[in-house]
Amino acid sequence: MGQLYLNKVTKSFGDVEVIKGVTLDIKNGEFVVFVGPSGCGKSTLLRMIAGLDDVSKGDIVIDGEKVNELPPVKRGIAMVFQSYALYPHMSVFENIAFPLRVEKMPEDELKAKVDGVAKVLQLDQRLQQKPGALSGGQRQRVAIGRAIVREPKIFLFDEPLSNLDAALRADMRLELTKLHHDLAATMIYVTHDQVEAMTMADRIVVLNGGFIAQTGRPLELYHKPQNKFVASFIGNPKMNFLPATCTSVGDDGATVTCEGQTLTVPVETRANLVGKQLTLGIRPEHCHLAKGEVKLKITPSVVERLGINTIVYYNEGTDDAFSALLPGAAPVAVDQPATIGFNAEDCHLFMGNGEALERRTELHEIDLSQLTGE
Amino acid sequence: MSNKNAMINRYAWYETIAIYAGIAVFMIFVLAPFVEGFLVSLKPLSRLFSSPYKFWPENGSFDAYFTMWDSVPGFGRYVFNSIFISTVATVIVLLLVVPAAYAFARFRFTGRGPLLGAFLAVNMFSGAVLIIPLFRLMRSMGILNTYAAMIVPGVAFLIPTAIWLLRTYMLRIPKELEEAAYADGASRIYTFRRVILPLAMPGITVVAITTFIGAYAQQFIYALTFNSKTEYMPLPIGLFAYFGRQEVIWNELMAASFVGIAPAMIVIFFLQRYLVNGLTAGAVK
Repeated sequence: MGQLYLNKVTKSFGDVEVIKGVTLDIKNGEFVVFVGPSGCGKSTLLRMIAGLDDVSKGDIVIDGEKVNELPPVKRGIAMVFQSYALYPHMSVFENIAFPLRVEKMPEDELKAKVDGVAKVLQLDQRLQQKPGALSGGQRQRVAIGRAIVREPKIFLFDEPLSNLDAALRADMRLELTKLHHDLAATMIYVTHDQVEAMTMADRIVVLNGGFIAQTGRPLELYHKPQNKFVASFIGNPKMNFLPATCTSVGDDGATVTCEGQTLTVPVETRANLVGKQLTLGIRPEHCHLAKGEVKLKITPSVVERLGINTIVYYNEGTDDAFSALLPGAAPVAVDQPATIGFNAEDCHLFMGNGEALERRTELHEIDLSQLTGE
Repeated sequence: MSNKNAMINRYAWYETIAIYAGIAVFMIFVLAPFVEGFLVSLKPLSRLFSSPYKFWPENGSFDAYFTMWDSVPGFGRYVFNSIFISTVATVIVLLLVVPAAYAFARFRFTGRGPLLGAFLAVNMFSGAVLIIPLFRLMRSMGILNTYAAMIVPGVAFLIPTAIWLLRTYMLRIPKELEEAAYADGASRIYTFRRVILPLAMPGITVVAITTFIGAYAQQFIYALTFNSKTEYMPLPIGLFAYFGRQEVIWNELMAASFVGIAPAMIVIFFLQRYLVNGLTAGAVK
């Protein structure tokens, strides 16, 4: 069992509070990703769960037992560090065997376990080499091997892929997802890379400035962000924001004027909305060339052609660039005026304090009944 | 050295000449006494003061290297004393400094900064300045005229440099290694023994070499003041035995100097093979 409960956990360094009260329930076998910008406290939170940093206030509970004062081993966790932290003077075998040597496990049992782990991670040809002779991906696997050989209840990963190049990162992402499936253990994974978060997580915890900004399934965060921060953090290129004013509310949502045009966005409304200054959010991938209920005239300042897509940036008169993700062959060019349009149903609306008005969109689970079974 | 011919390493011919000329001046300055000393050791004593002075020895021989043992029968003992004192001092310094340097590198404790500063300050005094108080201290402890009289002050004045050297080296060992070991259930002592010590080995070797050389070099002043027993005399004092009543046996004195340096040089030669670079490669990243 690897069930983790954080109860109003805070962490202060001197006068500075970096974790400002985090409450979170993680189920056994779940793959949870902590994501957020640099300095949001995600690594600190992980180190507190690991038992490397102490907790200022609040409780960390694993399988019903409060573990605040317990060392890492007694908590039943294993951690994979960003820098791998391999012992350079020991062979791969000894690196993986290290936790078992600490336990003083009998030699033959130890050897069987290490060999088993090495086989799973395809390191069986490398056991006698030193970490210095391995590639980045192999070192990463040794670090993971050292974690799984102890069969912990909870795995903690601290940005384990950030030192790898892009191609290797994609491979390791698949391997980790597979590993999670095979081990069926609870995993907590810290990253600043939203692609890793979206692809690997059962549940994402977005942290911002020591608070949880939102917790939810990846697609929930994408389609129904609860605030402006999550909306702009999830998705790439990030969401565009335009000022808007609410003119009326009705059964079909809030009617707003934006860029001199009127549209009705299907959101849950609330009292006293009429006349308020709101922010309208629209994702670049929901912008189209020359069609849509709302149209904007823009003059692209940068055009990036990626082959499959073309990204257009326009940053006149606004602080943030407005961007649109268009088809690869979209007829746009720098300094050539173009019309970008989008539909009201794709829009998000945010209050002045950044809080989102919940969108009236059904979150569709992937429909497995469509499997043809061929 | 694949980048031997890299652009940044290219020099014009006159630059090369200037560089080598600079090196030559320096090397001549440092090595000339050794060359002169070696040549003197080869000359017969009678020819030493021949006029005009001949730099190259005529009918030179290694006779002095054999006769020196007869002129001063205790010479072998002096060499042994020197090595013995230096070795014991080095071992004691290492035993004390390795844990201390680790503590200074890793633990935060009250007075860490001032203590390090104090060690640096002690370094500014040589033992010679404190010779009178040290003598009184040694006398009240009753260890005058023993090996301890030369070892104890030697150790005391070698520790500060050793701590600074080793602390700097240990700071370079990634902290994550200890955290990883801690997360895997290893105790501080276990981590120190299995992870820190092996990784700090090159640093410890450097400290061992500098301490040994330091102990070898600084014996003179302590031996001169704190010891009057002939059988405990180290090499530098032993060399005085070649200053006879009538004359100084210069050629044997020089020969004895070279024989005396030899063991230290051999030790250093063997230790430096352990100065393996890049032992931490592959630890992080």
